[in-house]
Amino acid sequence: MEHLLEIKDLYVVYKGDDALVRAVNGVDLTLERGETLGLVGETGAGKTTTALAIMRLLPDRIGFIEKGQILLDGNDITKASDADMRVLRGSLVSMIFQDPMTSLNPTIRVGEQVGEVLELHHKELGKEEIEKRVDEIFTLVGLPPERKTDYPHQFSGGMRQRIVIAIALACQPQLLLADEPTTALDVTIQAQVLELMQQLKEKLHTSTILITHDLGVVAETCDKVAIMYAGEIIEIGTVEDIFEGGAHHPYTEGLFGSIPDLEKKERRLHPIDGMMPDPADLPEGCKFHDRCPKATERCASQPPAMYRWGTHGIRCHLFGEEPDKL
Amino acid sequence: MKNSKVEEKAGAGRAATKKNSQLAAIMKRYMKNKLAVFGLVLFLILVVLAVGADLFADYEADAITQNMSERLQPPSAEHWFGTDRYGRDVFARILFGGRISLWVGTATILISLAGGSLIGAAAGYYGGKIDNVLMRIMDVFLAIPSILLAISIVAALGNGMMNLMIALSVSSVPRFARIVRSSILTVKGQEFVEAARAYGCRNGKIILYHILPNAIGPIIVQATLSMASTILMISSLSFVGLGLPSAIPEWGSMLSEAKEFMRYEPYLIAFPGIAIVLAVMAFNLIGDGLRDALDPKLRN
Amino acid sequence: MTVPILETKHLKKYFRTSRGDLHAVDDINISIEKGKTLGVVGESGCGKSTLGRVILRLLEATEGEILFEGQDLCKLNPRQMEKMRRELQIIFQDPFSSLNPRLSVSEIIADPIRTNKLLAHKCEIQDRVIELMHTVGLSDRFINAYPHELDGGRRQRIGVARALALNPKFIVCDEPVSALDVSIQAQILNLMMDLQEERNLTYLFITHDMSVVKHISNQIMVMYMGQCVEVSPTDELFENPIHPYTQALLSAIPVPKLRRDRGKRHLIQGEVTSPVNPKPGCRFAPRCPYARPECTGESIPLTEQSPGHFVSCVLP
Repeated sequence: MEHLLEIKDLYVVYKGDDALVRAVNGVDLTLERGETLGLVGETGAGKTTTALAIMRLLPDRIGFIEKGQILLDGNDITKASDADMRVLRGSLVSMIFQDPMTSLNPTIRVGEQVGEVLELHHKELGKEEIEKRVDEIFTLVGLPPERKTDYPHQFSGGMRQRIVIAIALACQPQLLLADEPTTALDVTIQAQVLELMQQLKEKLHTSTILITHDLGVVAETCDKVAIMYAGEIIEIGTVEDIFEGGAHHPYTEGLFGSIPDLEKKERRLHPIDGMMPDPADLPEGCKFHDRCPKATERCASQPPAMYRWGTHGIRCHLFGEEPDKL
Repeated sequence: MKNSKVEEKAGAGRAATKKNSQLAAIMKRYMKNKLAVFGLVLFLILVVLAVGADLFADYEADAITQNMSERLQPPSAEHWFGTDRYGRDVFARILFGGRISLWVGTATILISLAGGSLIGAAAGYYGGKIDNVLMRIMDVFLAIPSILLAISIVAALGNGMMNLMIALSVSSVPRFARIVRSSILTVKGQEFVEAARAYGCRNGKIILYHILPNAIGPIIVQATLSMASTILMISSLSFVGLGLPSAIPEWGSMLSEAKEFMRYEPYLIAFPGIAIVLAVMAFNLIGDGLRDALDPKLRN
Repeated sequence: MTVPILETKHLKKYFRTSRGDLHAVDDINISIEKGKTLGVVGESGCGKSTLGRVILRLLEATEGEILFEGQDLCKLNPRQMEKMRRELQIIFQDPFSSLNPRLSVSEIIADPIRTNKLLAHKCEIQDRVIELMHTVGLSDRFINAYPHELDGGRRQRIGVARALALNPKFIVCDEPVSALDVSIQAQILNLMMDLQEERNLTYLFITHDMSVVKHISNQIMVMYMGQCVEVSPTDELFENPIHPYTQALLSAIPVPKLRRDRGKRHLIQGEVTSPVNPKPGCRFAPRCPYARPECTGESIPLTEQSPGHFVSCVLP
């Protein structure tokens, strides 16, 4: 069976006033049906840009897919027309944004906002059928259907995110892109929403790309993980590879070292020095080399390839020459 | 060496910029807007003509002294815009009229800006009762159409340049007060204001040093746009005979005088009319341009 | 026993709203020793940020005392308070709105010094600014940069430098790392711990993030709807959380480790409401899985369960 989503050598650029921002630089990614992939990285790593490229929602006249293919269910959507994309969005792929407050229209009742998506994609449905579907979806995401006549501001943050999820899932898309869906929520509410997403995944078999900076969230919800740095995937693998595997990209190690650990007594953290390079002015060679504690001269001049074994892949010279190190 | 204090080398180049970079960026954005630049050019021409009016004409001889032998002459090489019914040169009167419009307009804006900023800043920063009392008073003024308010003030005080300025300022103070208040409210809630209070800044310094410079954008825009409406208002008041004494060259009173001759000497009404339109347009274009240039969110 | 540098006694802050009084901070007693850190943890709307601002008198307390080195801050007149502000500083969460966008880095750091007239000469102030920038790990080539030209981590370092400019003894840190990426977050946390060691600073560290607070605090207070539900030395709290809310908070944190028993978590249902005219008794009771009738009767005092570990719950 073919992959649900296959991204081949994707490059995305933003053309600004006086700078060319290279946000995504050669991403390769595959996602099977029913799988959850965690896309991890810091601000500016290109996670959201990748998702927007899949939705074809890059900002008009600024963001461009420079190169590469995005095969969704076998069709290359980089060449799809805007009209085709409007049909695909919602029915095949949909997206949840970080801030539940701004992604809902404050002047429309929440039930109508869910119903609107259904109307757009299922023109054959009558008014009553749509109402019935809306009720079903509300129950599915754990909201009492009688609250569908309320406005967004009458709901709390966690409830609003449930509504956003309801809208995204209304037409049962095969692929859900969730961009930091729980970052704006409190921990106890985050746990509830993650739980909900987990249940929905089991019920609906939706494939999900979960964009997050929180490795904890990834460990709890994902099957596969891709770690992004400066627009590239620098490490990819199953959750076991990433969380329990022996070999890691130095950046991944740094990322884990930065997380305050609840179980360790040690006070000091071990962050990576410095910060992500400016995407308008990327360094030569490996994009991580000037922060990397293990960098060699070769890293400064020659960009590393992705070295793969089994399900695990690392983009680093360390693993190219002596694979027996693993 | 301690880990936390390592200063990184990466991505450095851009940040070390010289001081006036913000002003330069605003200028650059403004200059990209063709209409706004057109407005600025119009404005500069207007200023040059008004300030240098004496170079082109003599105030006493051309614009004031009646010369009945040359009355109602059509435009010619000698009188570019013709002459009016007392034989005064229309071109000269328009130049000196521009001087008056600009002068009264600028003075009015400065007076109402100062008054409005004071009231608006106090209302916005202190809030509560002070805010309520001040803004309700402003609401009373706003409830009266500004032209009506200005007419009643001039009617009460009598004609004259000074009274005209007072009338126009009083009627535009409330608008400035409101705009200053709302800009201050948005800035006030930001954490840097709290930080300043936490290190002992007094209220006056917080308003002047920390809040106003951040709220200045919308205020400047409002000032330029008000300039346009004030020029229009000066002319309107003069048109109905409530502005300046009719001997003084003023665009509005020129229109008023010319209306009797509209049929056979249309140039008498056309030239002051065009002058008003161009001046008002210049300020509106500049105002719109500044609004876009000052608001970083509207970029691209 | 050492004398605490900062204490609050029955500190209350109520806000008038149209629906009644909102009990943002309700009877909080804290006590921090010099050179130590008290972590204040809770979810949004629990009153933790209000507490920090009331202690600095950025908001006026409704009732109660704030004792700094034995002196009640609430009783100081404006002149005395102005002097006192040098000792008490604050670092904010949002590195974007906490710096005045119209001022350059040097102006931002110098303003506290100028305001308090600590140094008179321009060159002295300049030297001090450069010294402060080095202290927080900022290169002095940014001295004329504007905040918008810098990234979040560097901006937060400026915020720290500004707070240090007056050589304070006590700093309220209001979610200072919440808006930053993990690797930058770790850099700033390390910086703050180093500064504390060097200068014997005392922190009140406000955060919603249990794992961050664990690293930096000696003592932790958990707040829920304006009240303190549990306060304890850090290690004790993590080993033996007693209040059901604390337990729920701890178990809700996503841990970056694979767990085979996925889904077996203590989730609490419902969400926080705002404490407007709250009823007596435990405010967590409506969400608490162990709630009993006696929870909602009368207010439940903090009781000491083990040395230094206080809990407000009827259960134990």
